[in-house]
Amino acid sequence: MTSLFSLASSFLTRGARRGTARVALAVLTLLAATGCNLQKDIDVELPAFPSQLVVECYLEPGQVPRLTVSETVPYLSSPEPRLLTNVAVVLTLPSGQKEAFRFSPGLDTLTQKVYTHIGRNALVAKPGDTFTLDVQDTNGRHVTGRATMPTVVPIEKVEWKFNDKTAEERKAYLLVRFQDNAATADFYRLQIHADSISENPNRDFELDDRLTNGQLVTLGTSYRYSANDTLLVTLYHIDQPYYRFLQSVDGARGANGNPFAQPAAIQSSVEGGLGIFTVLSYQRRTVIIQ
Amino acid sequence: MRLFGFALSCSFTLFLSCLPLVLPAQQRATLSGYVRSGADRSVLPGASVAVPALGTGVTADSTGFYSLPLPTGRHQLVISFIGYQSQTRELNVARTQRISFSLPEASNELGEVLVEGTGTLEQKLQTTQMSVEHLNARDAKLLPALFGEVDLLKTLQLKPGVQNGGEGTSGLFVRGGSADQNLFLIDDAVVYNPSHLFGLFSVFNADAVQSVDLYKGGFPAQYGGRLSSVVDVKMREGDAQKIGVSGGLGLISSRLTLEGPIVKDKGSFLLSGRRTYFDIFTRQINKLNKDQEDFNPIPDYYFYDFNAKANYKLGEKDQIFFTGYYGRDIFGFNSPNGFNFDFIWGNTVGALRWNHVFSPKLFLNTTVSTTRYQYQIANQLDQFGFSLSSEIQDYALRSDLDYAFNDKHTLKLGLSATNHRFNVGRLSASSTDGSLNIGSETIYRGQEASLYASDNYKVNDKLQLDYGLRFTGFQSGTDRFGAVEPRGAVRYSLTPKTSLKASYALMYQYVHLVSNSGASLPTDIWYPSRQNVKPQRSQQVATGISFLLGQGKYLLTNEVYYKWAQNQVDFRDGAQLFANEDLDAEFLFGKGWAYGNELYLEKKSGRTTGWIGYSLAWTNRQFPAQRGGTGINNGKVFFPTYDRRHNLTVVALHKLTERINLTASFVFTSGAPTTLPQGRFLLQDVFGDNVTAVPVYPDRNSYRMAPYNRMDLGMVYKLRPKRGESDLTFSIYNAYNRRNPYFIYFEQVEDEATGDVTNFRARQVSLFPVIPSVTYNFKF
Repeated sequence: MTSLFSLASSFLTRGARRGTARVALAVLTLLAATGCNLQKDIDVELPAFPSQLVVECYLEPGQVPRLTVSETVPYLSSPEPRLLTNVAVVLTLPSGQKEAFRFSPGLDTLTQKVYTHIGRNALVAKPGDTFTLDVQDTNGRHVTGRATMPTVVPIEKVEWKFNDKTAEERKAYLLVRFQDNAATADFYRLQIHADSISENPNRDFELDDRLTNGQLVTLGTSYRYSANDTLLVTLYHIDQPYYRFLQSVDGARGANGNPFAQPAAIQSSVEGGLGIFTVLSYQRRTVIIQ
Repeated sequence: MRLFGFALSCSFTLFLSCLPLVLPAQQRATLSGYVRSGADRSVLPGASVAVPALGTGVTADSTGFYSLPLPTGRHQLVISFIGYQSQTRELNVARTQRISFSLPEASNELGEVLVEGTGTLEQKLQTTQMSVEHLNARDAKLLPALFGEVDLLKTLQLKPGVQNGGEGTSGLFVRGGSADQNLFLIDDAVVYNPSHLFGLFSVFNADAVQSVDLYKGGFPAQYGGRLSSVVDVKMREGDAQKIGVSGGLGLISSRLTLEGPIVKDKGSFLLSGRRTYFDIFTRQINKLNKDQEDFNPIPDYYFYDFNAKANYKLGEKDQIFFTGYYGRDIFGFNSPNGFNFDFIWGNTVGALRWNHVFSPKLFLNTTVSTTRYQYQIANQLDQFGFSLSSEIQDYALRSDLDYAFNDKHTLKLGLSATNHRFNVGRLSASSTDGSLNIGSETIYRGQEASLYASDNYKVNDKLQLDYGLRFTGFQSGTDRFGAVEPRGAVRYSLTPKTSLKASYALMYQYVHLVSNSGASLPTDIWYPSRQNVKPQRSQQVATGISFLLGQGKYLLTNEVYYKWAQNQVDFRDGAQLFANEDLDAEFLFGKGWAYGNELYLEKKSGRTTGWIGYSLAWTNRQFPAQRGGTGINNGKVFFPTYDRRHNLTVVALHKLTERINLTASFVFTSGAPTTLPQGRFLLQDVFGDNVTAVPVYPDRNSYRMAPYNRMDLGMVYKLRPKRGESDLTFSIYNAYNRRNPYFIYFEQVEDEATGDVTNFRARQVSLFPVIPSVTYNFKF
């Protein structure tokens, strides 16, 4: 049920083709003799693949900036992470002031997120401020990025409605409403976490305002929440490079394992490597389903 | 509409200018008439009427009509057609006259026919037309089939130069062309989506089809609008003598056909339908498991289609024909929790043709037709509804005039005009309380017209030419395009049993399929040429040599081709192809070129028949940097997914006894190119809550999967019912149960105890293991 509703909503939010590809694969898999072992391990010799720097940096007002630098590795190589120790990171603030990050690998206890470099001061940023990032290693690899903080788009309303079932089958769907700005091309990401943001979001999708420009936008879920669930609803107003990055990551993941999908290159928001550099602008609401 | 006006006026000018040429030839006469089946009086397009002593002969056209100019005197005529007993008739031809022939079937039971007579191989040797494959539905029914479902397009895939789109699919990729570059015609009406079930089965019900001609190159001037092939499907006419019912019960579907005379010997009808029944089984499974915890109901899926054909003789010189097709695929999910998901797609086709014989030398076919392909996806949850749909609808007129000027020249003139309506995407999302109301719709119109003239010129006994010109035009809004498409073919007989052939064709394609992967999906959208989306263009040259061997029992043909194409379309990575009012901006343009050699040995007579085909081919695509991007594959040349270096097919049919036919087919192809992620990186996301490995795909289709090979076996066992005829058709698909690669994916290996990722591995997925099936067919 949940997956099918995700499928349905994906026709609107992520493109019908990807949804159709999933339907096609599901039907063919169903048709192929179910129960037969139709998969096997194979040896694949991949061509040599030069590694690229990968940068992941989400600036957030009021937080000390943290950044993770890694590199791409051959797909079938060992999963052991390799810490890059020869990378210098410099953030340029809207004022032009440059701030060199410290190499200080650690774990953010709130988000359980690993970082390799950390800034020195809490970030001061307001919508419209532009930051630039410069990442270099001693091997000559050089990644640059530029990001502007979008405005915060407030959540106008979070509401839910239960079905007519009883006991354990009684579930609610959730609706989130916000007002889109007609004057600008806008991009959004909605995440719904249960209980804590360090857990996997149970709804996570991005959309643009191509079809909803200037309208009161309503996003919804299927009947999936129980009474007394605590939900953290986060609406990010994101820039287009971040939107494209998310879409391309989603496409790249989805193409691995679906013969109907066309694998797509990652559209990074940085140049000289892969990754994302953006300034977060979001509003979060916590609701208890009752 | 100005294009239409221009085309029509030019056409009628040409037409009228031809009329004075309709003069009786001195010392010559023309035989004309129809070649029909002796069993049900249906016409036999492609039947041969020849005078071997003169080395001359003609082929009946799509209506079964032939026109053969001869010197006056006594002649021995040989009338032959695949699946029918050849007939020899001696005639004293003193004047121009109408004479029709009826051929008895080679076997009178359900079409399990082994072909007698060598006329068709000789005809193939002698014609200027090269790069064409003729397939009779009756032959296709003999071959083993996936799930027992006879599929004409899958049979065509067994011919050299034709690739499939993947395991079990009915898509055609002809001489390096993509799936949208095939023109599918059913009785001259276009079919936009020729497949059911995401490409697994074709829409052409073999019970309703007479024959299929696949043109891979050397395209006659009457065909146009697609770059790579023409698949010309002719529907079968109903039995003009008596009412008959036939059908079949198969593993996944059943078929039923009703046919009979409208007025005996004047007209007949045929109605045929089929429906799959996976959904009946899956609904039962759902019912049995509905109380189980965590059980996810299996969605409904089924398809059905109906074919109709009617013909009626208005008089000695006039006949009308009606052809209809309606088919739908339905994927649906209705959750007890109120969530409904419906996905419906299919074609609707109708054609009305008028055939008029002005004289034994001059006849005209005029067809008005309409075709529509549409899909609709609709979701409903409580008060919220979502829908997405798209369609293309054509109204078309075409008129073809055949004129046997004399025994050296046979002229063809024709025109066509099509009005396209492209509903590129209609999207809506709404709620009953009005809180949600999103709508979007993009509609384009296009007008396409063509005018052609061609001449088949028998220079002498050895040399024959077929040359023509096709003028085409297209407009969409204020954007206009036009082209002249020269076509030419030549045949030179080195000896009575050896022919050299060559051909050239330039083709334009004005409508494009918006699809960004090698696979065709029902949600692919047809899109017109516009200012920023130029027409696709291709040229193909081919040469070949044919030998008639073994006293005419075998035909060995070798063809070499080279094809180059411009304005090939693809889409930028991450393109938004749905409900996008600026879809033009998502297109990328490139070039393609393909070349190869096709070797083909066929045998059509005796107890054992069949063919062996081998092709060695290369297909390339290149999309350079453009529109601010790096193009595709960073501008480097790449192989599309349907590129195959080697392709070997062996098909054998053997009549063991009067009641048992055995069949086998074997396919070997090189591995399909595929795109695999060469690298990966870890993405933690904003809150580190969703750490995953992200694949990196630097090159397109740079990896080749393992070669594909498969053997299918079949047997047709004729029963002896008290009434009518019946048989059991057994098929074993993938007889030696090879696990052919369908796709490859990478996955992470996790420690069961800790959940930590310990390794990554590649997995190969196969689609079909060995699949036995049995179908019961009946006819009475």
